[in-house]
Amino acid sequence: MSAIEQTYIAEPAWPVRAWQSMKRRVGWLGLLATGIVVIAAVPLLFVLYSSSQLSMAGWQSLWSERLPDLLWNTLSLAVLVAIGSFILGVSSAWLIARREFVGRQLAVWLMVLPLTIPTYVFAHIYTIMFEEDGWIGSTWQAVFGNAVAIPDLYSVGGVTFILSIAGFSYVFLLVRSALEHSNPSLEEAARIQGLSPMQVFWRVNLPLLRPAIAAGLALVVLHVLSDFGAVSMLRYQTFTLSIYLQMEGRFDYQGAAGLSLVLVFLSLSFLVLERYSRRRQRYYATGTQQRRAALRSATTFEQCMIWGWLGLITLFAFLLPLAWMLDWSWQAWQDDVLDATFWGYVSNSLIVAAAAATIAIIAAFPVAFFHTRKRSTLSASYIQLSSIGFVLPGPVIALGILSFILVVLSPLYGGMTALLMALVIRFLPLALQSQEASLQHLTPSIEQAGRILGAGPLENLRRVVLPMISNGMIVAWVLVFIDALKELPATLILRPTGFDTLPVRIWIEASEESLELAAPAALMLVVGTLPALWLMMRKNRQAGSAG
Amino acid sequence: MKTKLFRGLIGLLLTSIFASAYTTAVHASELVVYSGRKDKFIKPLIEKFTADTGIKVILHSAKSTALLNKLRIEGERTSADLFISNDAGNLQTGSQLGLFAPINDKIVSVIPTNLRAEDNSWVGLSARARVLVVNKNAKDLGFVTSVFDLADQRLKDRIAITHSSNGSFIAGVTVYQMSMGDAFVADWLKGMKDNAGDKLFSKHSKIVKAVAQGKKDIGLVNHYYIYRHLAKHPDAPIRILLPDQDKKQIGVAWNVAGVAISKYSKKKLLAEKLVGYFVAAEGQQQFAGVNNEYPAREGIQAAAEVPAAGSYKVADVPMAELGKRRIETLNLLDKVGMP
Repeated sequence: MSAIEQTYIAEPAWPVRAWQSMKRRVGWLGLLATGIVVIAAVPLLFVLYSSSQLSMAGWQSLWSERLPDLLWNTLSLAVLVAIGSFILGVSSAWLIARREFVGRQLAVWLMVLPLTIPTYVFAHIYTIMFEEDGWIGSTWQAVFGNAVAIPDLYSVGGVTFILSIAGFSYVFLLVRSALEHSNPSLEEAARIQGLSPMQVFWRVNLPLLRPAIAAGLALVVLHVLSDFGAVSMLRYQTFTLSIYLQMEGRFDYQGAAGLSLVLVFLSLSFLVLERYSRRRQRYYATGTQQRRAALRSATTFEQCMIWGWLGLITLFAFLLPLAWMLDWSWQAWQDDVLDATFWGYVSNSLIVAAAAATIAIIAAFPVAFFHTRKRSTLSASYIQLSSIGFVLPGPVIALGILSFILVVLSPLYGGMTALLMALVIRFLPLALQSQEASLQHLTPSIEQAGRILGAGPLENLRRVVLPMISNGMIVAWVLVFIDALKELPATLILRPTGFDTLPVRIWIEASEESLELAAPAALMLVVGTLPALWLMMRKNRQAGSAG
Repeated sequence: MKTKLFRGLIGLLLTSIFASAYTTAVHASELVVYSGRKDKFIKPLIEKFTADTGIKVILHSAKSTALLNKLRIEGERTSADLFISNDAGNLQTGSQLGLFAPINDKIVSVIPTNLRAEDNSWVGLSARARVLVVNKNAKDLGFVTSVFDLADQRLKDRIAITHSSNGSFIAGVTVYQMSMGDAFVADWLKGMKDNAGDKLFSKHSKIVKAVAQGKKDIGLVNHYYIYRHLAKHPDAPIRILLPDQDKKQIGVAWNVAGVAISKYSKKKLLAEKLVGYFVAAEGQQQFAGVNNEYPAREGIQAAAEVPAAGSYKVADVPMAELGKRRIETLNLLDKVGMP
């Protein structure tokens, strides 16, 4: 009897053994993290599987006919937008972080507010304004007459313009925060040695800012690579648009997957390059420094110059689009077209974005926590794998999720599961980044102290860990909320039947050229994002003054 | 603070679970329509159908091609009962992918056979003509009688055409391909590309506007865009030019908007009721009328300002071909490098 029992215990089936050894090695937390990473990797698996179905001839025709143009279009756009965002973001951050002038706080807000406007709204509004009877078009002709043609937005220049004003805020945020925390004595020393302010900027600030600039530009470039809305409205063939067209127009999912694979490779090598380029660039603040840089007050002339430049940026990046939205929304209000259905779109959008943000921060927590505790190759690779949402285009994520749900979880199809899953996977990297950052402050000894004082793992989590990272969690929630609220391509494909959100309506109304309906929807997106943005800015400042 | 955050998290989690459990419950008596037609053209008709019959309809709008993809991937799990598209090419493609069920012959027999699928898996509801819009004050346009004249060097920088990703443009090219052969059409496309220069149009409405303002002399559009512009600007100096009317010429290219019933619909009888509503005399008048299109059903007249159907020559191409040959057309456009 006992012999039988023994053999039974000694020989469990292999999945059980694998499970046990896995559990022993990574613990419950690790298992949870593994589960989440596997789900996050579903779209990547889909791409790998579908592109493996692509025949040699298929690859060859992609390679010879499409890739050269697509590579050139996509890369040149990424470089141009990076330059545009660099100029706008770094200049505004430096002025605001180093000069005291009237309305400085307002200026900070004005530089961040463009984040509330999605790229497809920018594209839609500006294509209308640049028409001959549009605001900019008619002004242009009044100034230049017919001799100089109105700039054509349906060009690489136009797309660069749109994506730069839509994306420079990321650079601004990171560079400003770096400038505010950088050691002012370095600049002062350089000044004493006789460098002009310009020289100080180029030879002291800029090298010190390289990590922040690189991180900001990386965000911008990733947004360019995955942008769908603006490029499809302006018909500029990048990878993402081409992948979408390949799927949609030709039903060629394998070709689309093949293109996606190239795009993933491109984005990943870009990320690796970015990390490699600043691998040795860590600038440590020496212990004694906690003094903030003294802001030099600007002379009246400088104030005019500063506001002239910042005003120009904000005019195009926020005020003009806002004015346009208000104008047409007022029209819509007067025409009484904003009925219950419209407010239904608003609440749909808010519910979806809030749910996606909540699930995303909860899903990100085990992965981030696992990495902070273990710091192993496995945990690091988990972080990388969870970032897949950033490098795959939205339509491809949507398609991967759709196929997965239909095959594996088909009873859940038709509800919100598919949509929420896609949004969470898409924005998991955002949630991860901010949580990871705040978890780094959590030294193991703090947790151990809690355990010694008799708190169980759950109580420890509730009373020690979560309160300590609550700021990071809130920032993460807000970031995901903002992006989920604006998300277009995955929502277009995965929304339940008859379920329209604001981005979907903007897309439909814009293609039907009914401006009275697109404008209020866009305006509601901006309004819906504002509280979230306010919360984030407040938390940022708290974190700033605490650190 | 600590417990507040914890509680808040749990609250949010519950909300999200609630939200994810939420499904748009589709009742037995409701029809789901995947529609690629403009909301404002289809909504009034659907609302009237609901008022008349008490059958509720959920309208799921998006681009036709995107909806076709959705139908294809969803397969038998789709909640769609009907599919409406503005392009026979899409309808036929869906039919060839086996996504549609044949509609009862009694219902669709009022529509001419060349405006529906051979197996009745889709049926055309309204037709649009590819025509030329001409600025009345433009000079030296007397020689233009055909769409193929748009490639003539005399029209350098004077023509307005859409991007080649436009569904109506693609469908038109298919008709020309079938009538004139690939090599001829490829040359024609190249010539047009030269003549159009950098400036291609994203929308047909903008073409008509450009011609009306005299920025361009002539444009290739669907006929109803001309009348839409004239309704707003009655004095606009534009007129319609029906191309290819000579005996040896091919005639005007037509395309139809139409409807199909999903193969996996569990409410086929209800769905056929809606199709019946669309093809009835009154429904036809409305479906086509809101957009100045030609009712597909014979004997129903289009709006008075539109050249009457039958008064001019139409290219002899069954609409189903627009789907059968779509990939060939896309390949040709790619080969020519049409932007």
